[in-house]
Amino acid sequence: MNVEPTKTTNIEYKTDLFTRIVKFSPRFLLACLLIPVLAGLIGVVLPAFGWAPALSQYKIGLHGFTALWQTPGLVQMAMLSISTGLISTLLAFIITLMILAAFFNTVWLNYIQRLLSPILVIPHAAAAIAIGFLIAPSGMLSRLVSPWLSGWELSPQGIFPHDAMGISIILVLTLKELPFLLLMALGVLAQPELGKKLRAQHKVALSLGYCPMTAFFKVILPNLYPLLRLPILAVLAYASASVEMPLILGPNTPPTLAVAIMQWFNDVDLNLKIKASAGALLQLAITGGLLMLWLFGEKVVMYFCRDLLTNGEREYSGAFWQKLTSVLITGVIGFILLALVGLLLSSVAGFWRFPSAIPDQLVLSHFQSALTQMAGPVINTLNIGIVSTALAILLTLLCLESEQLRNKSVSRFMSFIIYLPLLVPSIAFLFGLVWLQQLANNLSVFVSVVLTHLLFVLPYVFLSLAGSYRRLDPRFSNVAASLGAKPHKVFLKVKLPQLFAPILIAAALGLAISFGQYLPTLLVGGGRISTITTEAVALANGASRRTSAVYAIMQMVLPLIGFIIAWLLPKFFYKSAHH
Amino acid sequence: MQSSLQIKNLQLFRQKQLLLSLNEQVNGGEILTIMGPSGSGKSSLLNWITAGLNSHFHAEGEVWLNGKNVNGLPSHLRHIGVLYQDALLFSHLTVGGNIAFAMPKGNKKQRIEKIEQMLETFGLGGMVNRHPDELSGGQQARVALLRMLLSEPKAILLDEPFSKLDAQLRAETRQLVFDTIRNHKLPTIMVTHDHSDAEAANGKVITLNTGQAKC
Repeated sequence: MNVEPTKTTNIEYKTDLFTRIVKFSPRFLLACLLIPVLAGLIGVVLPAFGWAPALSQYKIGLHGFTALWQTPGLVQMAMLSISTGLISTLLAFIITLMILAAFFNTVWLNYIQRLLSPILVIPHAAAAIAIGFLIAPSGMLSRLVSPWLSGWELSPQGIFPHDAMGISIILVLTLKELPFLLLMALGVLAQPELGKKLRAQHKVALSLGYCPMTAFFKVILPNLYPLLRLPILAVLAYASASVEMPLILGPNTPPTLAVAIMQWFNDVDLNLKIKASAGALLQLAITGGLLMLWLFGEKVVMYFCRDLLTNGEREYSGAFWQKLTSVLITGVIGFILLALVGLLLSSVAGFWRFPSAIPDQLVLSHFQSALTQMAGPVINTLNIGIVSTALAILLTLLCLESEQLRNKSVSRFMSFIIYLPLLVPSIAFLFGLVWLQQLANNLSVFVSVVLTHLLFVLPYVFLSLAGSYRRLDPRFSNVAASLGAKPHKVFLKVKLPQLFAPILIAAALGLAISFGQYLPTLLVGGGRISTITTEAVALANGASRRTSAVYAIMQMVLPLIGFIIAWLLPKFFYKSAHH
Repeated sequence: MQSSLQIKNLQLFRQKQLLLSLNEQVNGGEILTIMGPSGSGKSSLLNWITAGLNSHFHAEGEVWLNGKNVNGLPSHLRHIGVLYQDALLFSHLTVGGNIAFAMPKGNKKQRIEKIEQMLETFGLGGMVNRHPDELSGGQQARVALLRMLLSEPKAILLDEPFSKLDAQLRAETRQLVFDTIRNHKLPTIMVTHDHSDAEAANGKVITLNTGQAKC
């Protein structure tokens, strides 16, 4: 006897296309970040052991490494990479902590944040050019003390900026990473619940008799540090393997390892490419080793400081450290301002006799001649920046939306992967990507460059947007959904308008990151795509200082325009909404 | 000399508008209760006493502690303990660590002994190595009280300290806090919404209206 199937009264509901796309997006984001990095790493391991079809080399062996070990000065190169990376990261980290500790919960912190955040968007190359001008023998610093203090009538013989110890590199890296770490820390403290809790606990520590700086180190830092760890590691990884800063400011006898690798890779002698790949593996090992060292150092510091936290000591000459921090931060800001003034003056200087602080004549000819050659690079810069940033914003928004649809935030694995392109030295996996690209050879150069920029733009856009997206009051979407709005409508009509300002800021940040990319543009573009940044670096060591200054200024102006638009547009829109 | 907390000729303004004026002396073991609706300046009063008034407010007047003017001192040198409605225990430290943090420095072994002994008296025996988040609300409140007490404050401020506890726990914790204050003869100012707190404090009660103090 047949039994009639019981009739269900469930309402059939097929998930709509939007929801499916959104739910799929985190996997796509992972793929976008993981595949190029992993493929790039494989693409560098194989040639390092001699297997390079692109060069018709198939002999597996260690000859790449043998050639590498025989390079004169290899140890010095490695030591220079290690010392500049580690010292600059430590300095930036320590100064960040001093600023936070001295000014925690005061208005000064906001002022310092406002003064330092523009430095974040200055591309590394431009910063290096500006600081290089400042500390050069005939730079602003020596002009300001000459001849009344130094007695120099002629520009002196100086070791800067290409000093063999890498002090110039350390200086610029520190100045550049300091605002990044500070803003990341302030971002953590701006999280509504955590920030409120920490500020209240700081107040408790004060009421228990703790000097504000001690209270920061004993109460705030243990809670803050775990959330700062990844940004710090990213800074360390970058600093140990960066190319454009040592290229502009570093010594050449020998250079840092990353710079040497790039020179080998670009050499006409194809055999050097095998050595370059082996070098890239060494760079990976060095950066990996530094990251491990930092994590180990963390454990050591924690072990020795555990008892200090509760020993009851409330005052470690806080007043002295507070004053020192004020002096230091004034120095940092003054130094940066002086560098910018020097850069501006250089760009419009005609004849500029040595000890004068101001050029003898001001001319616009450098700008005029540079601007006529600049059209191509500027258009390339904008195209690559806009496409990669638009993709990054789209992907980020979809991922954050999926987080809200699933009602849980991304896994720890995912938040780690978002940092991956910042943690693996780009010089290592970019080579691999170039090899692979030569093998595949069916992507246009423009597309490859855009996709590579996406790797570096995505992390920043994601980190910048995630905070605001997660802070959205879910009740708005609940209300909209209860009124019958479909998920895509809630997303487009309710969430995005509320996120207008943060999206613009994230876009401006993404553009700034893309504009500043040197290595990805140069390597993946195969030298065929020139942007403002690649031109600026190329000019920094050769052509006239004046032209170089114009390019560096252009490098700063482009991202600045982005941020000004991001800042103005919401005001304009809100105003029209009021009327 | 008897300990005392004195507020002399306080006038508290929010953006030039007078919120409250106060002239009071609290002696050791006494609890002055301040009641009033939100926005009446209760919390700002406590912030002013601890030198933490935020920039929207402005105040004239003096705080005297045990016969000394402490107006010029920053928050951490005033020795005024505060209990808030949240226990605000440090989550990176154990229960014992939270208390050790507050104690004056000294011999490590003696400090540990003192912590264990005090935890015992407060009914928290054996909890020295527990994490604050594992404790119940009432236990957390007691650790916060103990932490403040062992920092050897000269006066105490209570900022709606029992408002997050349920009725039963509230009465018990309140009793413990008030007994402790009286035993240690500490001058105390309490800010609260709750009339039962005011009754239990058994001291002078000042009710604030928005903008005006009435006695």
